[in-house]
Amino acid sequence: MVAQTERSQLQVVGQRVVRKDGLDKLTGEALYVADINRPGMLAGRILRSPYPHARIRGIDTSRARQLRGVYAVVTADDTPKRGWGAFMPDQFPMAVGKVRYVGDEVAGVAAIDEETAEAALRLIEVDYEELPAVFDPEEAMRPGAPLIHDDRPNNVAVTIDVERGDVEAAFRRSDVVVEGVFNSHHQWHSSIETLGSVAEWSPSGKLTVWMNTQTLFMARYRIAGALGLRDGDVRIIQPAVGGGFGGKSCDDNNAMVCAVLAMKSGRPVKIINSREEEFLASRPRVPMKIYTKMGFRSDGAILAKQIRVIADNGAYSGKAPGIMGVAALRHDTCYRYSDVKTQAYLVYTNKVPTGAFRGFGNPSAEWAIEQTIDLGAEKLGLDPLEVLRLNAVEAGYVSPHGNEVRQGELKQCIDLVAEMMDWKRRRAEKKPNHGLGVGCTVHVSGKRHFGDYDGSSATIKMNEDGKVMIWSGEGECGQGPATVMCQIVAEELGVPIEDVEIARADTDQSTFCLGAFGSRLTYIAGNAVRNAASEVKKQILDMAAELLEANPADLECRNARIQVRGTPEEGRSVTTRDVARACLYRRGGRPVIASGSFDADSVLQNDVRYGNESGAFNFACQAAEVEVDPETGEVKIVQYAAASDCGTVINPVLAEGQVEGSIAQGIGYALTEGLAFDNGSPVNPNFHEYKLPSMADMPPLKAKFADSWDPSGPFGAKGLGELGMDPFAAVIANAVYDAVGVRITTLPITPEKVLRALEERRGAEGR
Amino acid sequence: MKKPVTLLVNGREHDLLLEPNRLLLDVLREELGLTGTKEGCSIGVCGACSVLVDGKVVSACLTFAIAVRDREITTLEGLSRDGALDPVQQAFLEVGAYQCGFCTPGQIMAARALLNQNPHPTQQEVVDWMSGNLCRCTGYYKILEAVLAAAGPHPDPLPEGEGILARG
Repeated sequence: MVAQTERSQLQVVGQRVVRKDGLDKLTGEALYVADINRPGMLAGRILRSPYPHARIRGIDTSRARQLRGVYAVVTADDTPKRGWGAFMPDQFPMAVGKVRYVGDEVAGVAAIDEETAEAALRLIEVDYEELPAVFDPEEAMRPGAPLIHDDRPNNVAVTIDVERGDVEAAFRRSDVVVEGVFNSHHQWHSSIETLGSVAEWSPSGKLTVWMNTQTLFMARYRIAGALGLRDGDVRIIQPAVGGGFGGKSCDDNNAMVCAVLAMKSGRPVKIINSREEEFLASRPRVPMKIYTKMGFRSDGAILAKQIRVIADNGAYSGKAPGIMGVAALRHDTCYRYSDVKTQAYLVYTNKVPTGAFRGFGNPSAEWAIEQTIDLGAEKLGLDPLEVLRLNAVEAGYVSPHGNEVRQGELKQCIDLVAEMMDWKRRRAEKKPNHGLGVGCTVHVSGKRHFGDYDGSSATIKMNEDGKVMIWSGEGECGQGPATVMCQIVAEELGVPIEDVEIARADTDQSTFCLGAFGSRLTYIAGNAVRNAASEVKKQILDMAAELLEANPADLECRNARIQVRGTPEEGRSVTTRDVARACLYRRGGRPVIASGSFDADSVLQNDVRYGNESGAFNFACQAAEVEVDPETGEVKIVQYAAASDCGTVINPVLAEGQVEGSIAQGIGYALTEGLAFDNGSPVNPNFHEYKLPSMADMPPLKAKFADSWDPSGPFGAKGLGELGMDPFAAVIANAVYDAVGVRITTLPITPEKVLRALEERRGAEGR
Repeated sequence: MKKPVTLLVNGREHDLLLEPNRLLLDVLREELGLTGTKEGCSIGVCGACSVLVDGKVVSACLTFAIAVRDREITTLEGLSRDGALDPVQQAFLEVGAYQCGFCTPGQIMAARALLNQNPHPTQQEVVDWMSGNLCRCTGYYKILEAVLAAAGPHPDPLPEGEGILARG
């Protein structure tokens, strides 16, 4: 076993290394965007549309501009009016001609303080002509519905229509066919830190933006594009970021308005979203209505799957086209079947634009599909866990859409969950109103999404004291990739973790990186920094060979000391410090520095959505025992178990943190989080009404990682960040059904819904 | 009308001129440069702005600065003494009870307040107390573990397999 041998020799990878940003964060020294102050800085505020759909007949900013302390008032007229967006350029930094949701950016003000800026907002007079609005995606698709974007007939932004094999024939072959309709809802990222930016414009034509973005270079590209600047004239600096989860991917207009205000006023400007703005105008999870139909053989084998997805785009597209694509197709890489049909429609509505949130399209798809499999298992009288196990993919599998599972441990994850839950015993000894649920997921380790590239690059230097510095533009939002990258580099170079540090991500300092999304950093950026470190290592070993009069191929570096492989510890050696100094201090000396890059072995899916989307697939299985109170409808999680296959665990503390955090967000998604909408706008957009799970909501959790090694990953590692979120809601719904026999098909699973379903069933039984 | 106010923060007296409706959170962050205290929800729900006033935890986003004049205010920056971390900070570091770090100052201050009045809380007492501090990253398990670690061994420990930290 090459993998086992290699893993047993690892020094830094696999260790519970303390985070590189630990002390700064624990002492209050870490600077987040709201903590950044620049000389002469102004407070920026944004005027947002109060209407879900209206034409702007005119904007009078004259009174606002005359207010004492106001430095700039901007509207779309202060911009080149260029559309922008991750996949479709359908939004503007500020509304051009029309507003399309309550919260749409209309104007911006920069003033001496927040109070003055707020007062100025109230002095801006906008002449709106209200237009009929549409909020339900299926209504929006009907002929005669109000048109939200003139060039999008039926309000459909994207259509997917894919069939592989012959799904009708497969349904005919099936012993059991089940169907369902499942609704998922808006979920807000609710990072405790809201979106924010500080923008500064220099007379030389350089725009510098400190922003809490997960994707610096994408932010640079979008800001430059929308504002008519060259990419290189925009500098994005990432401060400490207070949580991302997909919500800080520069798909919203906070930094856009901030930049326009800085350019117009000539002064630095800071805009921090209020919590209310975060609900109104960030980019929450894409709600979907999914119609499912699946066919099974009597032994539980899945023979056919057909789904129809209606995805609520909101007013603008952002990343929703990619998210719907994932919901439509990704799950067909989890189980073995070849006959599958998917129709999916991304539909504009006059609501907040939706976007990327941990799991991307997976949680909505899993919510529907993992429940449908549960329906099938029940109809067949089979243990759902055994049905999942029977169908689970293994290494070597190629999905109907071309995804290549070169390595993967889904079955092991299912077995781990069965063991952690003591599944068979729990099933046999089930108490009244208790139920068990199970579900699986497949995720990517980066997805080829934005052009034909899913790579990363990094530069590494070794200082003359032997200390190593990494420049990567991927960034850190709290998940821990900075520490993971340091561990990988320390391992590759053979130096202690204390000898490696990583610079703050900054587009002027590092090479191009796509950023944090798609569970890509450990795998993609990890490979890139490892390759860069490997180049640095060559330089060191060459010089060490000269100093030791040895062949570089015979040398190894361990604990910052280089010596001939196989010689005793006390044998002749040089330190990395000696070598780094020797590289510099000689005639023709040069620093130890190298860049490295990596691009995943995947393909950009073609126009019929075929192709291997990722270099490595990661898997998870989760199960729950719940207790449902038949009097109140309240769902209590008695025990939860999560098994994850992320290849090698680079840092167990961080990996556990990803799983544990996902479970908490899963609880929010499944049980507690949601807001009612009124006239297209969320009601009570605050943390009183929108219930984030607290410590008291956490269940007993057992979590394990599969014994897994992906040879294409850095030291065998794959992605992990999103896995834990994906199947959670379906697991709970399946468990609730098992407990009390009612199936909740619309998220979140509130006590009211459970109680109503129980009462309906009691009513039906009484008749 | 601004009023002269003396605030005692982290052992130092600060003479300030403040509007009576100025929030403690804004005064700490903007007047005193103590940006370790964070704003998360602005309505006293999330706990990111937790600071200690006379050793008890308060939400700085709901507290007028003038109302805590001459009281002993402690922020995260005042917790470590002479370069040594407070046991709560040390436990957070060792357990890894933080990710993005934004809620962390409030979590640490809330935990400190708990341990001030109850040096050996049970697991359930920690859960009840800390449920006023929201975290979106960690799922709370490591925060719970860290607070218990900071308190040290409990005289009456939970039986094996009990509580939400029984991961086995």
